[in-house]
Amino acid sequence: MASVVRGVLKAIKEKGIVNFAKDLKEEGYLNCIFDGNLLQTKIHNIGATLVGVDKFGNKYYQRLDDTQYGRHRWVEYAQKSRYNASQVPPEWHGWLHFITDHTGDELLMLKPKRYGVEHKENFSGEGDEYIYHSKGHALNPGQRDWTRYQPWLPTKNSS
Amino acid sequence: MFSPAARLVTKRFLGIRQILRQSPAVSAGGAGTSRSYSTALNYHIDSPDNNPNALWEFSASNMERVKEILSHYPSNYKQSAVIPLLDLAQQQHGGWIPVSAMNEIARVVEVAPIRVYEVATFYSMFNRTKVGKYHLLVCGTTPCMIRGSRDIEEALLKHLGVKRNEVTKDGLFSVGEMECMGCCVNAPMIAVADYSNGSEGFTYNYYEDLTPKRVVEIVEMLRRGEAPPVGTQNPNRIRGGPEGGNTTLLGEPKPPPCRDLDAC
Amino acid sequence: MGFLRALHRARPLIRSNFSTSRVACRWISSTPDRHNPEAAAAAAPAPTPEVRPRTPVGGARIECPNPEDAIEVFVDGYPVKIPKGMTVLQACEVAGVDIPRFCYHSRLSIAGNCRMCLVEVEKSPKPVASCAMPALPGMKIKTNTPVAKKAREGVMEFLLMNHPLDCPICDQGGECDLQDQSMAFGSDRGRFTEMKRSVVDKNLGPLVKTVMTRCIQCTRCVRFASEVAGVQDLGMLGRGSGEEIGTYVEKLMTSELSGNVIDICPVGALTSKPFAFKARNWELKGTESIDVTDAVGSNIRIDSRGPEVMRILPRLNEEINEEWISDKTRFFYDGLKRQRLNDPMIRDHDGRFKPVTWRDALAIVAEVAHQVKPDEIVGIAGQLSDAESMIALKDFLNRMGSNNVLCEGNGSSPQADLRSSFLLNSNIAGLENADLFLIVGSQPRVEAPMVNARIRKTVRATQAKVAYIGPPTDFNYDHEHIGTGPKTLLDIAEGRHPFCSLILSAKNPAIIVGAGLFERKDKDAIAAAIETIVKFGRVNRPDWNGLNVLLLNAAQAAALDLGLVSGPECIRSAKFVYLMGADDVNLDDLPKDAFVLYQGHHGDKGVYRANVIFPSAAFSEKEGTYENTEGCAQWTVPAVPTVGESRDDWKIIRALSEVAGVRLPYDSLKAVRARIGTVAPNLLNVEEREAPTISGELKPEFQQNLSMAPFGVAVDNFYMTDSITRASKIMSQCSSQLSKK
Repeated sequence: MASVVRGVLKAIKEKGIVNFAKDLKEEGYLNCIFDGNLLQTKIHNIGATLVGVDKFGNKYYQRLDDTQYGRHRWVEYAQKSRYNASQVPPEWHGWLHFITDHTGDELLMLKPKRYGVEHKENFSGEGDEYIYHSKGHALNPGQRDWTRYQPWLPTKNSS
Repeated sequence: MFSPAARLVTKRFLGIRQILRQSPAVSAGGAGTSRSYSTALNYHIDSPDNNPNALWEFSASNMERVKEILSHYPSNYKQSAVIPLLDLAQQQHGGWIPVSAMNEIARVVEVAPIRVYEVATFYSMFNRTKVGKYHLLVCGTTPCMIRGSRDIEEALLKHLGVKRNEVTKDGLFSVGEMECMGCCVNAPMIAVADYSNGSEGFTYNYYEDLTPKRVVEIVEMLRRGEAPPVGTQNPNRIRGGPEGGNTTLLGEPKPPPCRDLDAC
Repeated sequence: MGFLRALHRARPLIRSNFSTSRVACRWISSTPDRHNPEAAAAAAPAPTPEVRPRTPVGGARIECPNPEDAIEVFVDGYPVKIPKGMTVLQACEVAGVDIPRFCYHSRLSIAGNCRMCLVEVEKSPKPVASCAMPALPGMKIKTNTPVAKKAREGVMEFLLMNHPLDCPICDQGGECDLQDQSMAFGSDRGRFTEMKRSVVDKNLGPLVKTVMTRCIQCTRCVRFASEVAGVQDLGMLGRGSGEEIGTYVEKLMTSELSGNVIDICPVGALTSKPFAFKARNWELKGTESIDVTDAVGSNIRIDSRGPEVMRILPRLNEEINEEWISDKTRFFYDGLKRQRLNDPMIRDHDGRFKPVTWRDALAIVAEVAHQVKPDEIVGIAGQLSDAESMIALKDFLNRMGSNNVLCEGNGSSPQADLRSSFLLNSNIAGLENADLFLIVGSQPRVEAPMVNARIRKTVRATQAKVAYIGPPTDFNYDHEHIGTGPKTLLDIAEGRHPFCSLILSAKNPAIIVGAGLFERKDKDAIAAAIETIVKFGRVNRPDWNGLNVLLLNAAQAAALDLGLVSGPECIRSAKFVYLMGADDVNLDDLPKDAFVLYQGHHGDKGVYRANVIFPSAAFSEKEGTYENTEGCAQWTVPAVPTVGESRDDWKIIRALSEVAGVRLPYDSLKAVRARIGTVAPNLLNVEEREAPTISGELKPEFQQNLSMAPFGVAVDNFYMTDSITRASKIMSQCSSQLSKK
């Protein structure tokens, strides 16, 4: 604990209080107040080794000494307020899920040049991404007509 | 694991090849797919000389025979007379029965017309399309076929220049196929139904022990109006007897061994 | 509810069982009757229970009037007693063994040509076709031996040889006898390597679709057409592998029962043309209901998918329709989907209808109803009305102070006091006991095809004679046309006609009077003349009531029972007319300023004169009681939801009564039925026929002159008789293609 406080004071001293506050915000420490997950990740990060950073800025940590096996790799997402698992690019996925011990930076070389598409996170249900509505759904523009009868139309009967 | 499957495949392949090899031979023999069906279409197609609106009646003399035929059957089973009446109508109408004749028969025997159609379509001896004055029926059943009935038919068709069940241009001849007529001992044979003289002069003759050459001669004799000798065409045979006279059963037939005939 | 219905259905059965078993006939059943200790004691040497008895197939019961005629056979070692003359197949059914079959049909003659019903009989060298083999005493029948199974497998292989493998596109798929039985007896591969046979499809009209290549030559359709439907059009043409079903000459099947060949065809050769490729039978929900297109009340099953009726099939009822229904009943269902009224509507000042809410519509009608004098209010029930709505209409109008309630088709001042004077008294099934029919002014073939089928059955079975008075029409059985009008009736009544000797010599003469005569001015005089014939010919005896009235509409009998008995002449002075589905009533005499309320489910004739439209539910969407022409009440059950804003008829009337300030005292169907029970309790005894209690002797005398005008035709187009059938496309096709010109 003392080392943490020392580190903080050192950083303030180096950067000045304004820059330190800015960094604090950028690193998501402010979000930690409301987001327990992030806070826990931050606490985990203390003493862990940073294995790599992908092109989105997600940081991949590993800690081998006193962590339970199977929980020793994790990611701290680049976006602090809106994050989900689909932000992990495929090259890091294998490392993160213990499929392989090669890090994402090593695996990036395997990425097909000709047809490998850029990784894109999943925006389902948000923004202007395509949302599938079934034929019976009210939001489907071609919603099925469930009327199975033909009503009598009072047009020709003006007698 | 592999060998039974392979054997099956080989067997099936051989089978297919055999079928393929056979088919041209069959069609060359003058018997294409039509051989599988001996009857004509099972439905009626209107034509000027065969439609339900045409009036058709038994002739006056045949009406007497209709009455005579009907008298053979109980009055509540008049429909039993359908087959003889269809035969009579066929003789009167030059060898075939138009649909109006069937309607007339239905009226006479008091049943619905469809019951007469059923009978007429069932029997291949009733022709529902036009035939020649001499309708030549080639037996196509096994004994005759083994003795060369296909060659006979081929010779006939080639000589007359028609297909099966087709009438020659002069309207004299047509060739059809019939199943066994009971002359197997003198195979091959043809039957000639002569419709040229109406129902009074109707004849139905067998010409047996034929050769492709002889059958053409018979046709030519018929064309000239002559009456070829009926029965076996082999001069060395007498009716169903063997060629060159009998070789067995020459003496008195032996009495049955078990009892004494004189003692009775 | 379902339990109650079952109980109702079971009651006469149980009763007859008890009463008959004591007197003359003995119920032959292999197990001692548990309900009846006497019978159990009588059958003392009970069969040794070495083989467990099985329940008979389809509830098959047998009755043997003469115990000496009973023989005992053994089916799979299990002894059954059956009457002499039964076939081996029937014996097996009694023993609870279902024999596979294609050509055998219990209501048709035996053909014995499919060979699927082969069984092994001990000491018989070959398997026996059980449908055509009479059971002999002591016969030992084995149905599940390797011989029988192998024989059936052989037959099945031959049947499948030429049968196309198109089950996925076949409409019979899922209810196909060949499919079902090939599961048990079919091989998973065929040995037939030739080409399959193909047959030209026949055109049998707009109702029956033919795919003749699928035909297995069972000849059920041929036998049905010639034996039941009475049209000798179909036949078996050709022979051998070229055999096919057909008409030989180009001909449509012009029968009013032709749709039944779809049901009896065991494969997909004859299927329904309107239903083709519409649905699969396992997607459908079946609802057991009643047909309302004629007064017979045929039992039907409405097959629906979601909110639409997909098809209509007959339901077995020996008392009414056996297992047939008419083409109209079977194919009018598309009318239920067309021309539907789905919103309450009010006619604007410019003469156009505009949809409004129920609240507004009810308020306007209630206001108008209060502005006219009570006796200027007239209520007319249509021909498809159920008893519940008619009682509600009558109660509502009575509370408004009017008693002008009538049902269309009943004529003026109908005789509703004696039930026997408007019912088919000998019952439809009872017509089979008649040996002489006198049909007066009725064309049963178009008015009630099921009754006609029953008469035809009787004529075929017993050579009963039929005499007919009325305009020339076609019958499908032998009949004698003895006159066209009341003059012939008078001749018979006064004993001058040769028919008199026939009726005197007949044992059970039946007179069938058409309901079309109700509309005649001299109907009472005709009734009196018929009454004279009845007395003179001993038609009405304690053991036989042969005076029958054949009604036209589903609502007629119930309307007369409920007392909707005003005459149609009261609309001359009407200012407010409540048309409850009444389309065929003549509104020419209606004053121009009269207010017309049309309550119905179809935009038909009645709508064009209406000022306000109330949409109501059709018979397939509501629970209703209908009384058929023999006085038997039956229920319809909702099969599909109502369309749009429409509601049940009685609920609309109930709501209107509340808005009008004369609240009717019932809020539920149960309460309405309780109210019906106070007026006509027989309408609550569903599926029971109550014999009329008051004898015809009490009938008042009529002094009226018989007009000499010949009888008219009551139904001029069989296919279009009411608002639903007139909306149906299939029915209009039928009437243009099949009606005799």
